[in-house]
Amino acid sequence: MEWLTPLVGAYAAAVAIPLLLLLYFLKLKRRETIVSSTLLWKRAVQDLQVNAPFQRLRRNLLLLLQLLALIAMVLALAGPVLSLRRGPGQRYVVLIDRSASMNATDVEPSRLKEAKKQAKVFVESMRSGSVVSLRDVSDHAMVIAFDSHAKVMCNFTSDRRQLAAAIDAIEPGDGTSRLGEAVTVARAFAQSPGTDDSMRNPEAPARLVLFSDGRIGDLDTIVMASDELAFHKIGASGDNVAITAMNVRRSYEQPEQLEVFASLANYTSQTISRDVQLGIDGNVRTIRPITIPAATAGPEPSPGQVAVNFSLTHADDGILEIRQLTADVLTCDDAAWSVLEPPKRLSVLLVTAGNPVLESALRVCPIARLDPCTPAGFDAMDPAALAVQQPYDVIVLDNHVPAHLPRCRYVVFGAPPVGIDVNSPGELENQTIVDWRTRHPVLQYVNLMNLFAAKSWALNLPRDAEVLAEFNESPALALVRRQGSTFLLVSFDILQSNWPFEPGLVLFCYNALNFLAAQVGNIEQRELAVAEPIVIEGAVPETSATVVPPDGSEVELTADPSGTLRFAGTHRVGVYAVDVPDRPKRFYAVNLVDAQESRVEPQQEITFTSTTVEAAQQGVRRANVPLWPLLVLAALVLVCVEWLAYNLKVRI
Amino acid sequence: MAATRTTTRKLTELLDPKFMARLDSLDVLSRKILQGKLQGERRSKRRGQSVEFADHRPYVVGDDLRFVDWNIYGRLEQLFLKLFLEEQDLTVHILTDASASMGVGDPSKDLFARRLTAALGYVSLVNSNRLTISLFADGVRMQLPQMRGRSYLSQMAEMLLTTECQGFSDFEKACQDTVAGRIGTGITIVISDFLFKQGYESALRRLIGAKYDLYVIQVLSPQEIAPDLAGDLKLLDIEDADTAEITVSSALIKYYQRNLAAYCQELNDFCVRRGAVYVRANSADSVETLVLNYLRRIRLLR
Repeated sequence: MEWLTPLVGAYAAAVAIPLLLLLYFLKLKRRETIVSSTLLWKRAVQDLQVNAPFQRLRRNLLLLLQLLALIAMVLALAGPVLSLRRGPGQRYVVLIDRSASMNATDVEPSRLKEAKKQAKVFVESMRSGSVVSLRDVSDHAMVIAFDSHAKVMCNFTSDRRQLAAAIDAIEPGDGTSRLGEAVTVARAFAQSPGTDDSMRNPEAPARLVLFSDGRIGDLDTIVMASDELAFHKIGASGDNVAITAMNVRRSYEQPEQLEVFASLANYTSQTISRDVQLGIDGNVRTIRPITIPAATAGPEPSPGQVAVNFSLTHADDGILEIRQLTADVLTCDDAAWSVLEPPKRLSVLLVTAGNPVLESALRVCPIARLDPCTPAGFDAMDPAALAVQQPYDVIVLDNHVPAHLPRCRYVVFGAPPVGIDVNSPGELENQTIVDWRTRHPVLQYVNLMNLFAAKSWALNLPRDAEVLAEFNESPALALVRRQGSTFLLVSFDILQSNWPFEPGLVLFCYNALNFLAAQVGNIEQRELAVAEPIVIEGAVPETSATVVPPDGSEVELTADPSGTLRFAGTHRVGVYAVDVPDRPKRFYAVNLVDAQESRVEPQQEITFTSTTVEAAQQGVRRANVPLWPLLVLAALVLVCVEWLAYNLKVRI
Repeated sequence: MAATRTTTRKLTELLDPKFMARLDSLDVLSRKILQGKLQGERRSKRRGQSVEFADHRPYVVGDDLRFVDWNIYGRLEQLFLKLFLEEQDLTVHILTDASASMGVGDPSKDLFARRLTAALGYVSLVNSNRLTISLFADGVRMQLPQMRGRSYLSQMAEMLLTTECQGFSDFEKACQDTVAGRIGTGITIVISDFLFKQGYESALRRLIGAKYDLYVIQVLSPQEIAPDLAGDLKLLDIEDADTAEITVSSALIKYYQRNLAAYCQELNDFCVRRGAVYVRANSADSVETLVLNYLRRIRLLR
């Protein structure tokens, strides 16, 4: 026998029972009635008292009944529970999967709600710390919700209400399942001494109780003792059709032409036909029926896959949505979104005393405008106008050290500009490239193997500079960001090298312009995975912005002192709108596109590195019986009996 | 004439004219044939010069020879004296309770008592009896002594209609006062609820005497006979403001009724033992029935 809320009961008893007794001691307020004489009445009362010794007892019987009813109610308030579990108190870590697959509706109303329900039953079955019990046999539990990250909802406690509230507070997410972090966190908490005095030996392992569909990505990286974890399988079926990949790309030749690729996976055992709809900004552009083959069964089941591609013309920005139109158990993988940018053409200013090689290399790049300009002409331009109006997206400086550097993106050939913390201690001769970063976007497909420079400038770079290629004595290509400008430094004059004869020069120019152009339009990542943060740089510090997640609520953000806005709450798929003052509204698409997460068929057993854990054969059942309904019933019966007794006494 | 009309009208507030017509044929009857002062319409115990023969008795020396029955002497040759009953008037004392307790009850005991008083008084007056009506509470409050003849009807009605019932009852003192003012012989009728805290025994003992018949009429209201109370009550005595706190229960009501019955029985026994007549009346009953049937049956009226 335990008490859920012994203090409540004690307080109620302390107030109510003396009050009832006091009421009994108080004089009854009697109605005054005039009679001709009290003579006979007094005699009758005396007779009654003398001849009916049970009268006092009858009145006391009422008091007794009332007291019993009150005590029953007070005991009910104290929440007694008959525990069916035996043995010393245990510690549990309740792990609740809230990944995308837990939103499947094959279990009504959803897997996550079912998991929460079962977890609450489990938590309510725990034995609580009791002030009445002689032995402390209370169970402690903590609650962790996890998708790709673990979130501690509640630390170890024996307070079942707190645990139930923590379970209630778990919000569904569309992330992927990763148990490793949750297990690490759980073990860390379980081994810390904790603040609770009644904590048991920290060495005693806490039992993990996992409520999940078993579709967890990193099980093979977790080491689990054989009896450490109990697995409660949530979910019934895995009939799901998902969009598992999506890509949208503008054609190089015709930037208004959009190429959309998508891949759909069928996890059911039948070949099925579905309609795939493509829309831009909510306007349906096309619907295409497709047939997806059945998933292959066997030890390594794989879903039936089909790829679709659409080709359409759309020269503006917008939000492109691909959706498969038949409802299935999981809705968050039925659609994928992409944020379209309008095609961007660059304006380039070439500051050179005359370099036909560089000019012709730039001219073959897909740019809108190339303005050649002499060094004197550049120095004569108003730097403030260049910085504010930004007429040029990229400025190419060929062997010119300008007097002023308006905020822009620069490709610098030859001597480095002054005032960007780059020194040139002297000139070097006969340099060859020894290393370069082939993975960097600027050097994509560029082979520098044969590059030779007869003359180059030695560069002393600041520590935050990015070296892209190195001569044997000094950096050859470097990326420096200073004062809001980006400088791509080439430490030699290309006319003093063999680069004009290499195909790499044109590729370098193309890559460099594209790379710097990405900085222009702030072409940051607009397609995010679930839980990947939205990061906007270059905002005015301390400005506030509004994020509208797909559910329509509004979240206020404030930029940090460096002018960066961060929003980490991308837990659901869909389109997030970010409204920064004085800037056009930006959209971010958060997609699931995860073949592993879309495989929603629940696992009967989960396999860790060394152990396999079978799902519990039956759902969580109460291990204790709450006694308060019985007590309330008893109180009701007592009140009825008291009423009957009163009426028998009073009625003639 | 005007005065008579007023009187009649006033008396009709207490008594129905039809009822009065029936009362005209009645007379007050004493069980003891008592000696009156004037020669009235009643036999008295004193044998005397009257027309109504009573008995014979043997002649003794010294008897008045005028009353010797010579016819019997002629037949039997023995001297017998003829005895006659002398008709005399009767003194009727009506002692009516006018204390506050009489005002309680629905219908009121007080009204019942006054109507009964008026009926008995009417009978007495129309039969030329000597009538004294006393209204008592703590002693005699109002008294109309020594009335005789119909002319006193107006006074009687006036008093019965105007006197309020109030004050606590002191029956002992009332009886003392009555006995002090009582002359001659006759009957005494006490109309009250007899709910006297200080008891009625010694007071009644004063009233009982050789010369007077005593009739005790106890009037109780229906609420006193069968109380319709419920709940937790504080009973307030209307006379002395005494209180009794009760919680009405079936047991209590049972004990009350048992007590009431015992009380009435005690009063009855007390009266019977002393040659008095006890009558219990319910104020809800009609005065007419009581007077025309019951009082005739017990031979208070004829």
